[in-house]
Amino acid sequence: MSRRMPADRHGDLLDWLYERGKRRAAGVPEFDVERTISRAYAARDAGAVNFWSVLSPAERSAFESAARIQVFAPGTALMREGEQADEVMVILDGWAKVCLDEDGRERFITERGPGDLIGERGTVPGNVRSATMIARGTVRALVMTTEDYTAFIADCPGVPDLVKKQTYDRPTGRP
Amino acid sequence: MPQAPYSDAESLFRAVHTELMRVAYALLGNHADTEDAAQDSFFKLVTAWHRVGGLPTPGEQRAYLVRIVINEALHILRYPHKRWERLGVDADPASWESLDEQVQAKADLRLLWKAIGELPGMRRDVVALRAAGYEYGEIAESLGVKVSTVRSHISYARKQLSRTVARDWERARG
Repeated sequence: MSRRMPADRHGDLLDWLYERGKRRAAGVPEFDVERTISRAYAARDAGAVNFWSVLSPAERSAFESAARIQVFAPGTALMREGEQADEVMVILDGWAKVCLDEDGRERFITERGPGDLIGERGTVPGNVRSATMIARGTVRALVMTTEDYTAFIADCPGVPDLVKKQTYDRPTGRP
Repeated sequence: MPQAPYSDAESLFRAVHTELMRVAYALLGNHADTEDAAQDSFFKLVTAWHRVGGLPTPGEQRAYLVRIVINEALHILRYPHKRWERLGVDADPASWESLDEQVQAKADLRLLWKAIGELPGMRRDVVALRAAGYEYGEIAESLGVKVSTVRSHISYARKQLSRTVARDWERARG
């Protein structure tokens, strides 16, 4: 079987892919399942991008009145991996990096900025943070307890189902 | 394989992990994309757990998860975004006559994956597992369908693919 794609023999395309897939399957490298799971949780704990923008003006003021404003100096942690998760935050200004400690080395997962909701995994009782978030510059955020957030989101038609589902359907365990 | 269904997303994912990696790697051909596909699949599994958790047998749960990973892999193959360079023309570079040929092959491959991605539900997944190097019996077991079903999906898919891909390739080349 040729390694070249059979560009002029259309009927053989699937056979070509099959041979290629078989060759690759014979040499699958090692993957660490626990690492995959922690990264997926960390990405999720990084929360919903543009959360703020999907809220209606009324929902925003409801959120604001249940929350307090907190300012984080550059380099300080908004939340830390392994800590009890009892608050969620919406970033108003500034950027935070989301990272994981992998065998003492910091692994960058993603970044969150204005309008993003973070720490939303905390809405499962007894859960702990699956990632650390560090302020890149000064970060100003609206901080709300997870109880208030759960109540808020429950009757919030402006919040897409996806965000709500993330709140209710996750397992409570931690990798 | 346990008879009772898996009670949480993590144990299902751990149990099926080796197979997921085999499928994703065979389709994607590189470590980084495979890991991305696995991570996104776990994420999807957790999000869909209200459905997957209620499936009556572990076999059906495994099939569901395999179909999630196929979906993620096809997504990466169809919409390469920044990954254009990693699209996975895995031939030994020395065997390519020219850069043009490589670029053309990548464009052709993307059209092929697009055509596969547009096949109807189960047929798409049967073809994806075949492309991952699976035998008919393995596909049947993995997706929880009969071997005869696999055979007929592949036979129809061959015809469909050769038609659409021939058309798309000609159109792309003007």
